[in-house]
Amino acid sequence: MAITPLSSPFFEKREVNSTPQNEEYAIFLKNISKTFPNGTVANQDVTLGILRGEVHAILGENGAGKTTLMRIISGILKPDKGEIFIDGKPVKIRDPRDASRLGIGMVHQHFTLIPEFTVRENIALVLATSPWLDLKKVDEKIAAVSKDMGLEIDPESKIESLPVGKRQLVEILRLLCQDVRILMLDEPTSVLTPIEVDSFFKMIMNLKSSGKTVVLITHKMKEALQISDRITVLRGGRVIRTIPTSDANEALLASLVVEGMLPAPTLVRGTPGDIILKVESLKVKDDRGRIAVDGLNLTVRSGEIVGIAGVAGNGQKELVEAITGLRKVESGAVKLLSQDITNKPTRFIIEKGISYIPEDRMHRGVVLTMGVHENLALKCIEKPPMSKSKIIDRRSMVKNAESLISKFSIKASDPCTSVENLSGGNIQKLIVARELSNGGLVLIAEQPTAGLDIKASEAVHQKLVELRSMGVGILLVSSDLDEIMKLSDRICVIFGGKIVGEFMPENLDVERLSRLMLGAE
Amino acid sequence: MVERQLTISRGTKRSIVKALLSVVLTLAVTSVVFLINNVNPILAFIYMFQGAFGDINLASETMIRMTPILIVSLGLAVSFKCKIWNIGAEGQLYIGAMLGTIAAIGIGGGPLSLLAALVVGAVGGLLWAAGPALMKVKLGINEVITTFLMNFVGIYLVQWMISYPFRSPDTYFPESSAIPSSSALAVILPGTRLHLGVALALALVPLVYFLLERTTFGYKVKVVGENPEAARYGGMEIGKVIFVSLVFSGLLAGLAGITEVMGIQFRVRGSLSPGYGYTGIVVALLGNNNPIGVALASLFLAAIMNGSSTLAWTMNIPMGIVDLMQGLLFIFVLASEPLVRFLERRGVLKL
Repeated sequence: MAITPLSSPFFEKREVNSTPQNEEYAIFLKNISKTFPNGTVANQDVTLGILRGEVHAILGENGAGKTTLMRIISGILKPDKGEIFIDGKPVKIRDPRDASRLGIGMVHQHFTLIPEFTVRENIALVLATSPWLDLKKVDEKIAAVSKDMGLEIDPESKIESLPVGKRQLVEILRLLCQDVRILMLDEPTSVLTPIEVDSFFKMIMNLKSSGKTVVLITHKMKEALQISDRITVLRGGRVIRTIPTSDANEALLASLVVEGMLPAPTLVRGTPGDIILKVESLKVKDDRGRIAVDGLNLTVRSGEIVGIAGVAGNGQKELVEAITGLRKVESGAVKLLSQDITNKPTRFIIEKGISYIPEDRMHRGVVLTMGVHENLALKCIEKPPMSKSKIIDRRSMVKNAESLISKFSIKASDPCTSVENLSGGNIQKLIVARELSNGGLVLIAEQPTAGLDIKASEAVHQKLVELRSMGVGILLVSSDLDEIMKLSDRICVIFGGKIVGEFMPENLDVERLSRLMLGAE
Repeated sequence: MVERQLTISRGTKRSIVKALLSVVLTLAVTSVVFLINNVNPILAFIYMFQGAFGDINLASETMIRMTPILIVSLGLAVSFKCKIWNIGAEGQLYIGAMLGTIAAIGIGGGPLSLLAALVVGAVGGLLWAAGPALMKVKLGINEVITTFLMNFVGIYLVQWMISYPFRSPDTYFPESSAIPSSSALAVILPGTRLHLGVALALALVPLVYFLLERTTFGYKVKVVGENPEAARYGGMEIGKVIFVSLVFSGLLAGLAGITEVMGIQFRVRGSLSPGYGYTGIVVALLGNNNPIGVALASLFLAAIMNGSSTLAWTMNIPMGIVDLMQGLLFIFVLASEPLVRFLERRGVLKL
C-alpha cells in the first residue's frame, strides 16, 4: 500500500527536517530499546518524533510496547539503549520528577490519585513547594485551569466518591495545574462510557488548541482515527510506521497492527433455558451510605447473556457486589436457582457457582506480588487437586497454570512469575482464565474487555459465548455499548439503581437506549 | 522444572541484598562509635566474634541465647506476613512462662509435666494474644496499640504473681518456685548448658516454612497480607486468617517463654527476658519473614548480645552497645527498601 505522505497538507507543513535536533519535535526518541529482567523485549530500536502541538496516537496491541515506551519518557523506566530529545535537546530522564521539570506528564491506565483525599488535596500534594499549604493558591490554580479547559470539577469532592470518568479528568487537571506541556494518556477511554468519551475528546481538542502536545496510547483504531493528527503503529516493540491520520483508514491500520486479522465472528444468539439467577427488589447502599441500588429486579436464565447497559455510577458496581456477597444487601433478595443467597458469605456464593470477573483487576482480581500459578488457584486453593487436607500441591498449581496459560494465550515468562511482571491485558486474561475455568452456573463479567486489544477481546467474547452454549448464565456489565449489543441476548438498561428498560437485540432502538441510559424517560 | 526451583527469584535476591545492606550499615555506624571511643573497630568485632563463637562453651551459650529469639521471631514472621503487627510478644512470652511454670510445679515432675508445661506455656501466650486478636477482628481496633499495651499488663501481672501468690517461700527475691528437675529440658551437649529447647527451636524452622509455603493457611496469610481486597473477592474469611496468624505468633511467644524457663532459668524471675519479644521484631524483619532468613538473623542477634559481654570486659565498651546495634539494625532494615530502590534507579544496583 503506497502512502504518499507529501499529499497531506499537514505533513507538508511540518515534516521538514526529521532529525532529533529539530525543535519542532516536542519529543524525539532515537533507537530506544528496553528488555525487562524477565527477558521480555518491550521496545526495540524505537525511533519516533512527536511534533509540538499535535495529537499523536500510539496504536498497537497489548504487549506491543506502548505503555513501556511512555513509561520510559515519563522517567518511570530506564531504557537499556537510546536517546531522548525534548524540544531538540538531548535529555536524561531519570525519574518522574525530571519528566515533570521538562513539562511531561502521564495519566496512567491505573490512576494514581489518593482516594481518601479531595480533589484539592490531591492537587495541592503535587503543587507543594514549601512546607506551608497555601490552599487559596491551589484553589485559584484549579479554578483558572478548569475555566481554560472547560472542566467542571468540585475541588471539595473526595476522589473515592467520584465516578471513574471524573477521576480521569482530575488526573488531567492535576497535570495541567503543574503546567505540563506534553500529556501522555494511557488507554484513556477504556474506563469511559460513550457519552464520557465524547466530552473527553472535546477536552483533548481544547488541550490541542491551547498548544499542548498530546500523546494518546490506544488500541482502538476508531479513536485514533477520530482524534489524532498522526498515528504511530507499534507491533512487537517496534515502530511499524508513522502516518498522518488523514492518510489512514481502518483497513490500513488493522493490517499494520496485527498480521493476519481474525475474521469477525458471526455470533449466534443463545437459547435461554430456565431462570437461574433472580434479583428481587434489591436495595443496596454505596460506600457513602446512600441507596445505590434501589429496588432492582433482574433475572438471568441459563444459556443467556444479559447485558447491563448504563452510565458508570448508576448502581452497577453495587449490584454486582451485592450478588457476589461483597456488599451488604439492605433489603430484597438474590436467588440462585431456588436457593436464597442474600447476604451469604462470598465463599458460599463462589461455591454455589457464581464466578466473577471484576472491573478493578489490579486491586480485586489479583495479588500482584504473588505468582501466576498462585493467582490462578485463588478460588480453588482449598479443593483438590490444588490442596489435599490443607496441604498445597504445588505441582498441581503449576500444571494448572501451564494449561491455562496456553489455553488463554497468557504472555508470561514462566508459570510461577509474579503477576506484576505481566502487562495489563495479560493480567485480565489470567483473571478471565481463572473465572471461566471454574465451571460455575453464573458468570458476572464486569467490563471484561476494558483495556484489552482486538485479539484478546475477541478471545474473551468467544469464551463467553462458548460458556453460554454450555448453559451458563452470564451477566455482562459493560460501558462498551458495542460489546453489549454484540453479545447480549437481552439488554437491560440501568439508571439510578433501577432497571429502566429492556430490549431484545432484534428490536433494539439505540436512540431510545441512549435516552434511557441518561434517565431521559 | 528442576532448574526453576534452583534459581533464586528476584524477590528473594532483593531481600537478601536488603538484609546484608542493613547489617553492613549497622556495623559501619557501630564502627564509628567504636572509633569515637578510641577502640579499634576491627579488633572489637573480632573480640565480639570470639565472645560469641570462641569455644564450644561460648558457642553453645550463643545458641542458647538464640533459642527464645528464634522461637518468638518465627511466630512473628507469620503474623507479619499477614501484615498484622504483633508488638506484644514480650508480654505473651512472660504469660506463657508463668502459666507453664505453674503447670510444671502443679503436676509435679515427670515426662507428662514436661509436655504439659510446654503446652500450657504455649497456650498461655496464645490466650494473651487472643484479646488483641479479637479486638482487631471484631471491632477493628489497631493491633499495634493493643498488643503493645498488653505487654505492660502481662509483665506486671507476672511480677505480681511472683511477688505474691506464686512467690517462692525459700527466697527473699520476688521469684517463683523452681520447676521440678524432672520437668527441665535435658542437656544435649554434656559440659554445656545446651538444652533440648535449642533443638526444638531449630525444628520449628522447617515446620513454619512448611506452614507458610505448603499449606492453604500459609497461602491465605500471604493473600490477606498482600491484598486483602483480593482475599475478600476470593472468598477468604479474612478475620479468621488474621485471628489465627496473630494468636499463632502468641503461641510461639509463649513457647519461647516456657522453653527459657525449662531450659535455663528453671523459675520465673522479673529478669526472665531482656526483651526477646522486641528483639524478635527486628529479627523477623531482618529475615524478611522467611523462616531460614529468620534463623540466620536470630543467630546474628544472639551473637551480638553474647559477643558484646566479652567486649565489655576486654575493651571496656558498655553493654549498651547491644541496644545501639539493635536499634540501628531496626532503622536500617526499615530504610533498606527505599534505599535499594534508590540504588536501583541510579543504576548502582542491578537486581
